[in-house]
Amino acid sequence: MPLLETAAVSVRFGGNVALSGVSIAVEPNTVTGLIGPNGAGKTTLFNVITGLQRPAAGHVLLSGADVTHMSPYKRAQRGLARTFQRLELFISLSVRDNIRVAGDMRNASRRGPRIDVGREADRVIELTGLADVAGRDVAEIPTGRARVVELARALMTDPKVLLLDEPASGQTEQETETFGELLRRLAGDGLAICLVEHDVSLVMQVCSTIYVLDYGAVLASGTPAEIREDPAVITAYLGTTEGVA
Amino acid sequence: MHTFVEFTIFGLILGGVYGIAASGLVLTYNTSGIFNFAHGAEAMLGAFLYWQVRFGWHWPAPLALLFVLGVFGPLMGGVLYLLIMRGLRDTAEVTKIVVSVALMLGMLYLSVWIWNPSTPRTDEKFFGSRSGVHLFGTIVTTHEMIALAAAVVIAVGLRMLFYRTRAGVAMRGAVDDPNLLQLNGHNPERLAAFSWALGAFLAVLAGVLITPISGGAVEANALTLLVIDAFAAAMFGRLRSVPRTFVGAVVLGLANNYVAAYFPKTWSWASNFRISLPMITLFLVLIVLPQDRLRGASIQRSRERSRVPSVRTAAIAGVALVTVVILLRQLMVDSDITALTIGLTFAVIALSLTLLTGYAGEMNLAAVSFGAIGTLIVFHLGVHGHGLAARTTIGGILLGVLVTAVVGAIVALPALRLRGLYLALATMAFAVFMTAMVLHDGQPHKLPLLHSSFSFFPLGTMIIPAPKVGPIDLQDGTTFLMTATVVFALIGTGLIALRNSSFGRRLTAMKDSPAASATLGQNLIKLKLSVFMLSAAIAGLGGILMSAAFTSVTPDHFSVFVSLALLMLVVVSGITYVTGALLGGLLAGVGFSLIVATFNALSLEHASLHGLFAMLAHLAAVAPALIGIGLGRSPSGSVHDIVESYRHMRDAKGVLLGGAITEAAVYLLTLGGIVTNWWFAILTVVVILLLPVVGQMVKPEAFLGEAEVARRRAEVPLALVGIDTPYTRQMRDEIDRALGMEITPELAASILESTDAPA
Amino acid sequence: MSSTISPAGSAAPVAPDEPLLELVGVRAGYGAIEVLHGVDLRVPPGALVALLGPNGGGKTTTLKLCAGLVPVTDGEFRLAGRVVNGVTANQLARLGVCSVPEGRGIFPNLTVRENLWLATGTGKRMESIEAAAYRRFPILGERRRQLAGTLSGGEQQMLSLARALGTDPTLLLLDELSLGLAPIVVAQMYETVRQLAAEGLSILVAEQFARTVLPIAQLAAIMLHGRIVRVGTPSEIEEDLSTTYLGG
Repeated sequence: MPLLETAAVSVRFGGNVALSGVSIAVEPNTVTGLIGPNGAGKTTLFNVITGLQRPAAGHVLLSGADVTHMSPYKRAQRGLARTFQRLELFISLSVRDNIRVAGDMRNASRRGPRIDVGREADRVIELTGLADVAGRDVAEIPTGRARVVELARALMTDPKVLLLDEPASGQTEQETETFGELLRRLAGDGLAICLVEHDVSLVMQVCSTIYVLDYGAVLASGTPAEIREDPAVITAYLGTTEGVA
Repeated sequence: MHTFVEFTIFGLILGGVYGIAASGLVLTYNTSGIFNFAHGAEAMLGAFLYWQVRFGWHWPAPLALLFVLGVFGPLMGGVLYLLIMRGLRDTAEVTKIVVSVALMLGMLYLSVWIWNPSTPRTDEKFFGSRSGVHLFGTIVTTHEMIALAAAVVIAVGLRMLFYRTRAGVAMRGAVDDPNLLQLNGHNPERLAAFSWALGAFLAVLAGVLITPISGGAVEANALTLLVIDAFAAAMFGRLRSVPRTFVGAVVLGLANNYVAAYFPKTWSWASNFRISLPMITLFLVLIVLPQDRLRGASIQRSRERSRVPSVRTAAIAGVALVTVVILLRQLMVDSDITALTIGLTFAVIALSLTLLTGYAGEMNLAAVSFGAIGTLIVFHLGVHGHGLAARTTIGGILLGVLVTAVVGAIVALPALRLRGLYLALATMAFAVFMTAMVLHDGQPHKLPLLHSSFSFFPLGTMIIPAPKVGPIDLQDGTTFLMTATVVFALIGTGLIALRNSSFGRRLTAMKDSPAASATLGQNLIKLKLSVFMLSAAIAGLGGILMSAAFTSVTPDHFSVFVSLALLMLVVVSGITYVTGALLGGLLAGVGFSLIVATFNALSLEHASLHGLFAMLAHLAAVAPALIGIGLGRSPSGSVHDIVESYRHMRDAKGVLLGGAITEAAVYLLTLGGIVTNWWFAILTVVVILLLPVVGQMVKPEAFLGEAEVARRRAEVPLALVGIDTPYTRQMRDEIDRALGMEITPELAASILESTDAPA
Repeated sequence: MSSTISPAGSAAPVAPDEPLLELVGVRAGYGAIEVLHGVDLRVPPGALVALLGPNGGGKTTTLKLCAGLVPVTDGEFRLAGRVVNGVTANQLARLGVCSVPEGRGIFPNLTVRENLWLATGTGKRMESIEAAAYRRFPILGERRRQLAGTLSGGEQQMLSLARALGTDPTLLLLDELSLGLAPIVVAQMYETVRQLAAEGLSILVAEQFARTVLPIAQLAAIMLHGRIVRVGTPSEIEEDLSTTYLGG
């Protein structure tokens, strides 16, 4: 059974349709990719899933339960975590405190046993390879590392489902490679990961299923090999040559 | 029927004038993004100036109007924008609010300086109060008809401006997308300056029109608070739409008159309710406004910064503070002791702002009003004994603190949905409501069931006796002083401990990004509610102590202007620092009033220099507002700047020791009566401010780093390094570096210039 | 030609004289976050240059920089040979740099006519702007009193392009004309762009859909991770596309 499902989600901004009838499923132990051109509605879908945006129609299911009308923090307490395309770090806190505070929030929610926030933070910092910047202000570190801090912060909540919004943008090639390995490892530990990413080679490497969004609708879905051969996808990404002189 | 028509006509007139004021507010907010708290003060200055030229100097009315409306208003608006408001880009909302609040206070002080409030002044109606027409059995004066006509002309004129002129269309475009306006070749700065000039014109017009309608007395505070009525009207149009703003203004004007007409005369609270109507409306409109979506870190690029000390440092600083106050006590006479005690109680109230605004990022323009609630509870329920033997009980204090916390939670209701400016407005409405509805509630009301009568603030004065807790009796000045100091030190240390705790980290996270906090599982409502209650409790305790320190308090002690001045001084000192609360509280509580009093006393003693000292006293009164206005230049607060400069001193221990010895010597000289207390204060300030400069001369590498020193050595003769460099420029460089604005070649050049000049 | 051509070198044969727009080692970003890590780019006079690459690569920032909306932190921004680092957007607009930003460069709460009226801020006369706009896009003439926000996506993009037509600029910057538009509308837009280029206007186009713009471009550059990684003729670039976009 998928841990996260959206069922025919639609969103309108004024007269514009941002999402129309989008249904995706994210399984545990896997990385599911979500790709598509700019403005296709990927971030909007993440906002609907996490509760920051109310859908006009459709449902969001978390572990089979309908959470469509649940507030964002309750969804988070049920094991949903995300990162942001436009970085949403806590800029007054150090890297380590950015990670620690997520554990503080977990303890404050009284969900599950109390954790030793300091030790848990050390474990996550070790896991994500942030030890060298742990003591610095988040405003000082490069974008690529800052994105890893957002991932580490999300991991502190002990999530079951992880939504990553363009985590590799701003990373160097080497950082992206390490990042891909980390994603595979996290999925191997049982996480259900949904990855929005423009670095398609990363998506092709780590994802077992890929959804292609275009104009707010699912254009295609399948394995990386299927997606790569799909003519509709190629058109969506490269544009059409018809009609141009 | 006659009553209805009559009050409808007057309601329309009043609403029209509200509309003129409110449309100016909407105009400036939309083109510059700055909500002008000083809008009412602009109206006030206009009304005063009109009085001066028309009735003081007997200019003919047309000339007076031309001067006030045509020259003074637009000039004031344009200059304010170009000199002050333009510099506020990329600053946090709190900085923008505080600067315009400072402007409002500054204008208020300025008016007191020029127009002594003890002299009554009356603006007469245009063409006198007899000229007019009979309408449905009532006289509508020419002035009132002019006011109504002006409102219609302004409404139509603004409509024409916005739809028939390119500048107006561009202003509407600026709301959508200021960047695109630039891409179209327009200069948004010039448009904003124009709109500020127009906004000030509208404010002045409203001030000149409304004064004779509402009785004729030109009174600074009342006119300044006209802005609240304008806020409420503007909120009907969500600060965007001018037509809806006019509708809101008319609704307010009508409601005001209908309450006067139809509320039974036996309701003893009706007139206070009428005055409070705009505040209540504002509060309600804010609550029912559609909810904003959770926003992310909008201050990602703002210039404010802060550092958090460890609990150990805080505890040491607390002990140091108590020690310093004990030492100072030896130098002081009784009246000084009371003054310092009052200052410290203000500092306790200021701590509530450090927690709420500094740590959690929520605005509160009503800190002192919470203090008033604590005081009211203590007055009614917490005093034991009579006459000189009366004492405030610990039970009363605890009850007062508890009730204040509960009220804090109620006021926080809009805060659960609002942030930034809207929250600031809601709390300001609460403060004015408290003053008008509760603190001016001096008449006894009959309680229907209990066969007794009750009023919140009987006779307009409350005596709050000194608290007594077990053996500690605060009737003794020194005991009170030391208790206030210890209370401040304890709460301050507690706040720093809290900031370093899980709760404090979660507050900071919520301040930086509510959206991220929510998606990490943080219940924002619970967190906001708890921090509001805690903050209100601190303010309540501070307020009780403050009232007890004053012994007797009047509603003026809790006016919204006191809250605003306190907030401003705390932000200027450093809103994220406990030390900032101390400094801001002391300045608000005693500092400036003491300086003003000293200059006034001097001017009485030295008749020949009377003018000079009187002017210095006025200057000192305006000074805090000037400091607030200057906040745009150093938005992190002065404590932050001093902390930054002292941080580098750790490598210059010799200099620190030298400073300590100097200060000790000054203290001993004062104790021995060789120098006066004034000299002690001045020398102490000089030592604190000069120490980093000396440190920089002796050990420049501690400040600039080895590389920078080496680079500078290469560029200027060794003998000149640091020695002639002005302190302020160096400090600014330090701040620039901390903020990531590296030294540009131009800046470096200007530093070198200023070093060369004296050599 | 191989893929080792340096950006500056490849532009040289097309532009014997000075390029109209030139970026040399330009770095820029937002606050502490640097987005462009040393961009070198040239737009020769009269050429249509396509700036391609996946999102997040820095295309939009590059165009914002050229329009004066993002300051240069390092390097040189040259216009007709003169360094213009620090020039403001409204000055550039009056110097003849017309920028159509990403996601409809229109004011949604103003009417079509008011949108065109604001374009007179560049110093051009309203009559000529309106005439040029309505001649090219008659539909805009029919809707001149309608709020721009209520137009269809294609009509909105026509309106933003109409500003470029009427103000007679020397350099046109276009960011993602195709964003959220149906393919047939995109084709229509680029037909207009092609005609403008044929009339001698210098154009820099950022576009994620490479194949819509490559046929009309003289030069193309691929941007990845805040740098120009490849510059060449459209046919040379075409071969690299699949690798760049779909990870080969």
